[in-house]
Amino acid sequence: MFPFSKKKNNSNPNDEPEKVTIYKEIDKNEEYTKKIFSADINKDFTFRTLTANYCQKKTYIFFYSSIVNSEKIYNGIVRPLLEADGKTINNIITIESLTEIKSFDKVFDQINSGKAVVFIDGETTAYSVDVADFQARKVGKAENERSVKGPKEAFTESIGVNVSLLRKRFHNQKLIAQTMLVGSRSKLEVSVMYVSDLVDQEILRNLQKRIESLSVDNISTIELLEQYLEERPYSLFPTILYTERPDYAAQFIEDGYIVLIMDNSSAALILPATFWSFFHSPEDRYSRFLFGNFTRLLRMLAFAITILSSATYIAVTNFHSEMIPPDLLLSITSARERVPIPLFLEVIIMEIAFELIRESGLRIPNPLGPTIGIVGALIIGQAAVEAGIISPIIVIVAALSGLTSFSIANTSLNHSVRISRFLFIISASLFGMLSLVGALVLWVFYMSSVKSFGVSYFAPLSPKYKSTGDMYFRNIIKHEFWRPGQVNPTDKTKKNPNNKGDSTNEKNKFKS
Amino acid sequence: MKQLHLGSLILFTILLAGCYDRTELEEQSYVIAIGVDLTDKNGLYKITFQIANPEVGTSMTGSGPDEPPRETVTVEGTDIISATATANSFVSKELKLDHTKVLVLSEKFARSGDLLRAIQVSSRTKQIRGGVQIIVSKEKARDFIDNNNPKMETRPHKYYQVMLNRASEIGIIPNTDIHRFFQITEGDADLFLAPYASTEIDEKPKENGTEDGYIAGEVPQEGGSRSQFMGSAVFKEGKMIDVLTGAETRIAQTLDNTIDLSDIYSTYEDPVDPNYRVAGAFAKKQNTAIKIDYKENGTTKIDVTVPFEMEIFAIPSLTNYSQNAKNREKLRKSIEDSLTKAAEDLVKKSQEKYETEPFYWSLYVRNNFKTIQEYEKADWNKKIFPHADITITYRLETLEFGKMIDDTHLNEVRD
Repeated sequence: MFPFSKKKNNSNPNDEPEKVTIYKEIDKNEEYTKKIFSADINKDFTFRTLTANYCQKKTYIFFYSSIVNSEKIYNGIVRPLLEADGKTINNIITIESLTEIKSFDKVFDQINSGKAVVFIDGETTAYSVDVADFQARKVGKAENERSVKGPKEAFTESIGVNVSLLRKRFHNQKLIAQTMLVGSRSKLEVSVMYVSDLVDQEILRNLQKRIESLSVDNISTIELLEQYLEERPYSLFPTILYTERPDYAAQFIEDGYIVLIMDNSSAALILPATFWSFFHSPEDRYSRFLFGNFTRLLRMLAFAITILSSATYIAVTNFHSEMIPPDLLLSITSARERVPIPLFLEVIIMEIAFELIRESGLRIPNPLGPTIGIVGALIIGQAAVEAGIISPIIVIVAALSGLTSFSIANTSLNHSVRISRFLFIISASLFGMLSLVGALVLWVFYMSSVKSFGVSYFAPLSPKYKSTGDMYFRNIIKHEFWRPGQVNPTDKTKKNPNNKGDSTNEKNKFKS
Repeated sequence: MKQLHLGSLILFTILLAGCYDRTELEEQSYVIAIGVDLTDKNGLYKITFQIANPEVGTSMTGSGPDEPPRETVTVEGTDIISATATANSFVSKELKLDHTKVLVLSEKFARSGDLLRAIQVSSRTKQIRGGVQIIVSKEKARDFIDNNNPKMETRPHKYYQVMLNRASEIGIIPNTDIHRFFQITEGDADLFLAPYASTEIDEKPKENGTEDGYIAGEVPQEGGSRSQFMGSAVFKEGKMIDVLTGAETRIAQTLDNTIDLSDIYSTYEDPVDPNYRVAGAFAKKQNTAIKIDYKENGTTKIDVTVPFEMEIFAIPSLTNYSQNAKNREKLRKSIEDSLTKAAEDLVKKSQEKYETEPFYWSLYVRNNFKTIQEYEKADWNKKIFPHADITITYRLETLEFGKMIDDTHLNEVRD
């Protein structure tokens, strides 16, 4: 059925660098390390020699000056070694993390990830001290998933900050931030976050295996990791939710989902994802019951208009002109009298024009931004109609379908919908309404066959699961009793349905 | 390889079969009105198509201001659909009947009994909708369509739509379409009423003082469009037999539950001062109660009650009806009586002259029979209805006097 769905191939045996243990002679260690890091040409690779006060032995400290905090090195390592007195190094270096290392491959990993490694003469153990200070942007506002009501923070490109943003929202000792490394040449940290007494162990294990079995030199961002992890790379529909909002990610964590965070990535991945998670926006829940559901209604309308308006227009005008009210029919006909191209091409031209404006508007340098709006609107809206290339009604149809597509905030689903639109336009031009409805049915069939980590795309609607019922419309928050059953959370009850727990009695006092 | 085969099979199916009935809008002409006239030959008709010009009446730039809003062509043909092909010998675009609003029949043609033969095609093709209105014109259909030249609604479809809607809303013509024609004709029990219209206005109009006692062509008019819609043509078994006046058409529709009426403005005799008439809006909010006491041998009794509401808006005699209970009772009785009398006259006429009724009452006798055969054998329009004993009651449910209770007191004004 799906010739393009790909089976995961097993990882190739990795080329492990030979393990070299640390020598007893410090000069040998120094020489080897310097050689590996090409110290003579690598400018920010720094080392420092001193004689430790507590044992009166020669000591070397290696680190990358560009990714460490030099103040910390001075106050946490150099000064204690020079001045403090004590029995073991553990009592002298008082910085929070001090790790003992026995082999050189570990030494290199530690230095690469921003730690300082201390060698002491006559010892076969090196000590790694965490003094990392990678440069990162401050926590900013969410740019792509904006909200009016609700928190404004967004993830930033630092794993530590991102984990902190999530922990801040869920205070519980069971919230695990398990760290895994991806990439064999450049090892980057991926943090798998979940609540250990909620998450489904099977999904978790599956995810861990997928991450472990990745055999690739380098995965630099979470956007690439998403593509390494997904089951059907050729599929039209996204199966992993991508969000830049920590509050949205936290909502999923407490429902038993798994969140992935990665170094250098200002977004999180949430899995397993369903159609609903792409369709919803966090603000739907922040707004009050009626307001949130009104937004949902608008979004559904926008969804339908985006995928079907142009296609329906083609189907109706080309095949079923009897469906159009006579007034409209006559004005469309009179507008088309002087248009040289078939209606189908007219629609395609306009849709592509809109996509082009959109794409170039996205890439255009900021100072040039206003130009594109003026030129685009003028050319497409006015001049093309006056030149008789397209009829004015097409401008309305295309603009409507183009603009409404933006109400689907999720960038992944937004693309799916915009591409689907062209499928429907083509199918409508083949046999009219018949093929349009046929294509729509197949499209829904396909969508319902998609699975994300074993969870059906339309769950909990189909197959049915016990859940909060948050699908087309959301319930009153007080009446959300169950965690979504499709992710099989260990604790299924979110709130005891028997205990209203909403201080109804207290409220009734003021009712009359 | 197998997938390739399957893929190419699907692709070629789509490429070869796709788009086969696609037509661009500007390659079609939209026929708004169809007219049918008799010719000398049997089975051959003159068929007229009125085509809307899409460029007139739109705000689009560049449309030729000299172009007429409609084009009317006539060809000879045996039926409507094949006539469109003949018409294409001199009309450039494909004629589409999807948007046809009216089917105009000349009275001569309607009386000839050939109607079924000529419009039978509409039940077979999907091109002519069931909702197309039938209009019977006093003159030739071609003349009617030609003379129908409204000044304000230049787009022809708009004119027919608005004209027919309003006229049937106030009841002076029946709102009946092709679907109903087939329904009643094939049911073979009742009479079918079609709007009666004319563009030939009598030189000496009939003057009878009431507002609806006319048939089309008799209404005294000055200015405006030359076409009049008033009254109805009576069809029995697919053949036109008579014409009802506007007043009779209104009465017939109040007795019929399958037709919706809105407000009928009409005048009634002033019971206190017979020199004047009282004007009011008649409204039927509830269904007419039709009770048929069917007797296989003997006289069937039909009991009809029409509940209605009346809002009086003009009392030219300035009689105090609103506050005087005695007067009010008089007015109530007078209105009920005049309506009942009119209805009884119409029923009598249909019993004696037509031998069946235009009210679709056969629906209410059908539940006395177990099978269709039994019902057909009992024969509503030959045996039951013409001999039935019919009582009609108009019952005024509420009587209102508009927003002002009191009238001008004439004696105080002229003291």
